[in-house]
Amino acid sequence: MDDSLNNWFAREILAHEGALMRYLLRSWFRREEIHDLRQEIYVRIYEAAAKARPAMPKSFLFTTARHLMTDRLRRGRVVSIEAVGDMDALNVLIDEVSPERRMGARQELKRLTDAFDRLPDRCREVVWLRRVEELSQKQVAARMGISEKTVEKQVAKGARLIAEYFYGGSHARRPAHDDATDTAYGNGHGQQQGD
Amino acid sequence: MASSKEIEHAAAAWLARRDAGGWSERDQRQLDAWLDASMAHRVAFVRLDAAWRQSDRLKALGAGVPAGVVPARGSWASSPFGAADDHADEPHHPRPVHAHAPWRTTHRHRGKRHSLLHHLATAAMLALLVSLALVWRHYTAVEQASYRTAIGDLQEVPLADGSVATLSSDSRLLVTLSHGERHVDLQQGEAFFAVAKDPSRPFVVSAGGRRVTAVGTRFSVRRDAADLRVVVTQGLVRLESDRLPNGLRQPTTLLPAGSVALASDTGVVVHSGSVQQAEEYLSWRSGFVSFHDTPLATAAAEFNRYNARKIVIGDPGVGAMRVGGNFRWSNIDAFVRLLAQGFPVQARRQGDTIVLTRR
Repeated sequence: MDDSLNNWFAREILAHEGALMRYLLRSWFRREEIHDLRQEIYVRIYEAAAKARPAMPKSFLFTTARHLMTDRLRRGRVVSIEAVGDMDALNVLIDEVSPERRMGARQELKRLTDAFDRLPDRCREVVWLRRVEELSQKQVAARMGISEKTVEKQVAKGARLIAEYFYGGSHARRPAHDDATDTAYGNGHGQQQGD
Repeated sequence: MASSKEIEHAAAAWLARRDAGGWSERDQRQLDAWLDASMAHRVAFVRLDAAWRQSDRLKALGAGVPAGVVPARGSWASSPFGAADDHADEPHHPRPVHAHAPWRTTHRHRGKRHSLLHHLATAAMLALLVSLALVWRHYTAVEQASYRTAIGDLQEVPLADGSVATLSSDSRLLVTLSHGERHVDLQQGEAFFAVAKDPSRPFVVSAGGRRVTAVGTRFSVRRDAADLRVVVTQGLVRLESDRLPNGLRQPTTLLPAGSVALASDTGVVVHSGSVQQAEEYLSWRSGFVSFHDTPLATAAAEFNRYNARKIVIGDPGVGAMRVGGNFRWSNIDAFVRLLAQGFPVQARRQGDTIVLTRR
């Protein structure tokens, strides 16, 4: 894998995931599609950046998001006028969505700690033993008296949730509409619509 | 094609397997093959890998913590980064409430509370006499509040019992909370309810001669003249009607999640579908209206619920046209513009109305 590309991607793109999610939540009416949308946006950006890194990654991210939503509206399954939808809604200023800022190291650690504290108990313990005490998965299993398979599963879950909380940050849930789901915006498993 | 969530789970499984140790060259080749299979795989993996590498920095928290001890949540509050809140720049998004904060306090004060309980026990006998006298008053005590929204307004209202009502445009509610019941009178319009669980106090929404009862669930109720529409997205609600003028009573209907019920004088029609389909009826909460093969007259009426400027159907032919789509209800002009572009429809603006006729 191209490490410099991956590092660039984490630093310049993933760092804005929280703002991106807020933008998507505000602009897209089907919440269950947002996870898919995010993936598609990341794919487009990663592919483009593999050829040449965009000069202004953040505006590139939001422009890509807007184009993708516009495309989706155009290809909508319901013919008639859904095809053109309401694109005015997508034309928001990027800076209105997310004021420019860079996180300092302290803030980053704080955010990481918050993400860590939001993990479910068992997952949190596994992550602590594995990452902080640097036990192997096997040692973690012995320490906690659980199977290695279970430890592996908890590591997988930990990686997913830390990514969600650390990058997605406090886009988290909207006040009243969401249930306690593990990812803040969706419910259960996303579905591919149409195409 | 796998959904993005499935891909994310698969990427996480790869990452965890690699983390488990005993990773061979063959394993690496398999992972590479998976990554090469699709750019979506690669991006999902890169994202999780970056987050997992970040988590390495949690080591900074391990300093001074004895081996084998996993510190309690939030025990870092007094550490280097202090109580400073880095979410200050995101005022619109209240932080999720963490369950650990109150839990810690309780823990710490347990000893104190114990002796306090002792005193309370002694005082209890006395208090009992007094409170018996008060019970009657307590039970009949009610809390009443009314809420209304203007045209084009949405409002989210937290109720005193922990439930939340979302009022749609041009709607009116009277909320009465008493000890035995939580009662909402929907006087006009539509509202969505996320009901806090409280089995001892049913949550009843009445509208005209009909009542919708729930315990802890999510549903919306909407009034259209004599008709009522109930959409349930979680749990179970009961729909019942008073006796009709002709002396008959419509049967009581139980509505599980995914139901959309329409009650009119001629009966109750229930459509049972997926929760996702039911949610579409509630897209107004995020500012949208959705139509699927809907007569234009109905779609126009829908827009009119939210806007002071009204769409008027100038001839029946136009009203019968079928439209579909998702629109921001606040953007009545975009809707009309699209109609004029895509259909043989002409729009004339007259003061506060937009009249649609055949072109």
